[in-house]
Amino acid sequence: MFQIIKNEWRFLVRSRLLIAISIAFVSILLLSIFLGNYQTQKQEQTYQKATEHLRQQWVSIDAMNPHSAAHYGTYVFKPANLLSNLDEGVNSVTGNVLRVEGHVQNEIVHSEASQMQAVSRFGKLKSALLLQYIVPLLLIFLAFNTISSEKQSGRLKLLVLQGAKPLEIILSKTLSVWLYGVLLLIFVVVVYGILNFQNLTAEILTRTGLFFLSYALYYFIISGLTVFLSARWQNATLALTSMLGIWILWTIFLPNILMSSAEKWYPLPSRNEFQSAMTEDRSKGLDGHNPSDERGIALEEKVLKEYGVDSLSQLPINFDGMRMQADEEYGNSVWDKHYGSNRNILHQQKKSFQLGGIINPFIALQNTSMGFMASDNLHHQDFLLQVENYRRVFIKMLNDKQTFGGSKTGNWGWKIDNAFFKSVPDFEHRPTQISVVLSNYIMDVSLLILWSIVVIALIFFGTKKIKIV
Amino acid sequence: MIQTIELTKKYGDFTALDKLNLSIKEGEIFGLLGANGAGKSTAINMLLGFLNPDSGKVQINDIDATKNAKDARKIIGYIPENVNLYPYLSGVENLDYFCRLAGLKYSKTELQDFLASCGLQSEANDQKVSAYSKGMRQKVGIAIAYAKKAKVYLLDEPASGLDPLASKELSILLKKLASEGATILMASHDIFRVREVCNRIGILKSGILVKELYAKDVSANELETLYLKFMQN
Repeated sequence: MFQIIKNEWRFLVRSRLLIAISIAFVSILLLSIFLGNYQTQKQEQTYQKATEHLRQQWVSIDAMNPHSAAHYGTYVFKPANLLSNLDEGVNSVTGNVLRVEGHVQNEIVHSEASQMQAVSRFGKLKSALLLQYIVPLLLIFLAFNTISSEKQSGRLKLLVLQGAKPLEIILSKTLSVWLYGVLLLIFVVVVYGILNFQNLTAEILTRTGLFFLSYALYYFIISGLTVFLSARWQNATLALTSMLGIWILWTIFLPNILMSSAEKWYPLPSRNEFQSAMTEDRSKGLDGHNPSDERGIALEEKVLKEYGVDSLSQLPINFDGMRMQADEEYGNSVWDKHYGSNRNILHQQKKSFQLGGIINPFIALQNTSMGFMASDNLHHQDFLLQVENYRRVFIKMLNDKQTFGGSKTGNWGWKIDNAFFKSVPDFEHRPTQISVVLSNYIMDVSLLILWSIVVIALIFFGTKKIKIV
Repeated sequence: MIQTIELTKKYGDFTALDKLNLSIKEGEIFGLLGANGAGKSTAINMLLGFLNPDSGKVQINDIDATKNAKDARKIIGYIPENVNLYPYLSGVENLDYFCRLAGLKYSKTELQDFLASCGLQSEANDQKVSAYSKGMRQKVGIAIAYAKKAKVYLLDEPASGLDPLASKELSILLKKLASEGATILMASHDIFRVREVCNRIGILKSGILVKELYAKDVSANELETLYLKFMQN
């Protein structure tokens, strides 16, 4: 087997056309890695600057009423992700900036796609784009005539006569083509590692290793299937046409069809429907700014009873802050209900889309690629949840200060000094650990492994019927 | 030794080879003459074990090739009409590759010696095969079988398309191999070359061996007349 692989590689190394194509492709890969790195660095700098600027604004608040500060709010920026150098995933369409304020959960805005037409139409040039679409094409072009050319030239007879088994020949040819893809993959990962050497962590290495594994499996599926077809069909053109058909089906049609189907099976409410439902549910709750609100009055009576006083002015605390927090908590429960429902729908969509991997391993690859590079919707949702949790802590701190900071009910002119604002913590993003989310990708990895086994089985059993003459 | 006993191959109603009985001894060159479609290549493919006979048996030396094709192939050298080698490898590299597939490791000098024994000019050893003529590729093809120490050589139209000099060189080479003890079966429709090289000749028509004779018993012209007579009947 080694001899056949060695011979195939001699062909690769000695073919000027292949060398030229490889050099051109490696140059584009290099460009994509450098560009990816540059963009991430730039994004990181912008993120740092913006975050520092806003923090500076916040800690510079001289003296302000805490609830006014809740309305003043702040902004949270989605931090740059080192891993997304390789796969941008959904990052360019999901937005980067989230306004954090009292009473309302804002949507994340300012996606790159909304600001750059080229990004919205073609996506960003990231290594994953080349590794997912172009490398498989290269592998198909390398493999489609590996066996048929041996058959047509009569060399297959000579090879078998010299003692090589047909299965051995097909497996060796598959491995040779697969190795080409794996070498390109190694090149990408190594260059990425060198460029980011100082920032490499166990988490990044684990994720990159899993990213590598998924691509290596997918390349094996493509290489094996193409070599198998090359062995089964009588001519190379038929093998090439079949594989190109499969490539188009897998990478263009099926992902779109399956995603649209998943969206139809589990429809998300439109933005208007979502907002209307939220507004309607919130209107049934407590209005923190309306003292005559029924629920507000009930809360007031309860608090007066607890403190054993008859009027708000007798309370040792500021009831306005308490009412604001009650309003906030009701709003949070409404958000949890609707946003939670959306998350469930997204989860179901993802699950059914993942099942598409049964008929299309490319879907499994896309899922793992984005997932392991922390740039899929799951990671984005986790970021949004972290921001919402921060918002709740942030607003509660301000409302509690309004309530227990020493002011009296109705005293909206009361202000707290700068030291308090300095003590309010800034948002700190905790990147999602792969150990926590790995279970979400087990199905994708399993399907890639299953597909590889199917291809091996095809080669094992299908090649028994291959005619040497 | 090559022996076929009642060897028959059918494709549906069409009988490609009908009860072929052949016996070729060591050191003998047997020429199988026949028109296109006479069954020559079918016979060779069955000798190689690439086609299973519908009935009959193939014996290669002591091996029943119909049952144990793998073992038989170890001692068979096969030279097709067009020896398609790997064009990006040199003659030496091609020979080395095919030898290694057979589990044989030779030094470069040994490989060069094999090529020289088969008549390849030493200047061509390290040239890419893409620059070789058909005759040169035939020589490498024979060297592959020679280096494998094949006892039996099966040649399918080996002289087809060769220039007279290359054809003559091939004849000399085959005679040399036979003198060293090889058993050679050469399928061809080149009457004159077969008459010149072979010890015995068989004429195959529509899968049936219609005539068997010694080459020394006929002149080239007589063989041609005989061949044409069988073909026209």
